[in-house]
Amino acid sequence: MNSTNDTKELISILEQSFDIKDFTTPKKNEISIVVDQNNVPTILTYLKDKGWKQLSLVTCIDWIEENKFELAYVLFNWTNGITFLVKTKIDRKNPEYISIIDIFPGARYYERDIHEFFGVKFEGNSDFEKPLFLELWDDKPPMRKDFDPLEYSKRKFPDRKYDVELSKNAVKEVIKEGEINERT
Amino acid sequence: MNIFEEDLNDTITFWEKIKNIFRGKSLWMLHYCTGCGAVELPPTMTARYDMERLGMGPMATPRQADVLLITGYLSVKTLRRVIYTYEQMMTPKYVVGFGSCTLNGGIYYDSYAVINRLDYYIPVDLYLAGCMPRPEAIMNTFKTLENMITKGEANGWKKYVENYDWYRNNQIRSLGEVYVKDEFHE
Ligand code: SF4
Repeated sequence: MNSTNDTKELISILEQSFDIKDFTTPKKNEISIVVDQNNVPTILTYLKDKGWKQLSLVTCIDWIEENKFELAYVLFNWTNGITFLVKTKIDRKNPEYISIIDIFPGARYYERDIHEFFGVKFEGNSDFEKPLFLELWDDKPPMRKDFDPLEYSKRKFPDRKYDVELSKNAVKEVIKEGEINERT
Repeated sequence: MNIFEEDLNDTITFWEKIKNIFRGKSLWMLHYCTGCGAVELPPTMTARYDMERLGMGPMATPRQADVLLITGYLSVKTLRRVIYTYEQMMTPKYVVGFGSCTLNGGIYYDSYAVINRLDYYIPVDLYLAGCMPRPEAIMNTFKTLENMITKGEANGWKKYVENYDWYRNNQIRSLGEVYVKDEFHE
């Protein structure tokens, strides 16, 4: 089996038919492409047909300076062991995207996860709004870069107060006692 | 033990003190492990440190257990279940907090999902220092707990009943609502 040639052919087909913005191989046996957001479902369907049958992960990255969310789909091929990353960027202001549960039904939970942690809405996934991990969450999605965990933690979970002067004095006393003990 | 002459006339105190002696000698700890500290329990239970020589043993159900171990960080989601579990346990019940996470949040002090201070939500009888504590420290703590119980000093469960409103308010402030609500329980 010559998987390298196969994948090269596959890449050239993809490049001819879609607008592929970037193509890299971050690791051995790993291919990463950046595509336009409209092409993702078609490319995923095509790849599934070619043997990338397992959806390993869907995740999101917050590029706050570019004002974009990046969605990453990780597919795995059990025949040749090659991982395929399909990435696309969507608008951060009003994040909405199409659900891929028709292609990979397992994405249902990943999409709920992304909605919960980043606030991306998935059209076509009937229960993307149901909470999955965070119970009774009442703030902005916590994985966004502009969420301040320390501030949230201070507000919600009060800290133990320490009397700094008192503990300093206690330390001094211990040191003093130590000196006395050494001399005697 | 601290049974005095005058206790013999006061039956309630007398029997309470006798009971405390027995309580301290057979402790069943709830096997509900929440954080990293839990991995120090297997060595404490097995041949080398042999927890059973203190009369302690693991117990799987809350209703039969005496000691609840919070072995480290406690996420908000787990805290809900811990409160459920604690309230299911029969009195007398004791809580031991392991490591710095239960004391002040430890390395998770700024996490949005992890509480900072355990004794706001349930009463803690004894804290165990270390991140994570060694089995020797755990054995020492269990011995201390035993002594505290026999002397009648481990009164967290009484405090919880007396100050229930305070605990409840703290729980509500951090959790919103204590009820466990997720799709797998509906
Ligand atoms: S105190 Fe340290 S060992 Fe214990 S739960 Fe926290 S981080 Fe883990």
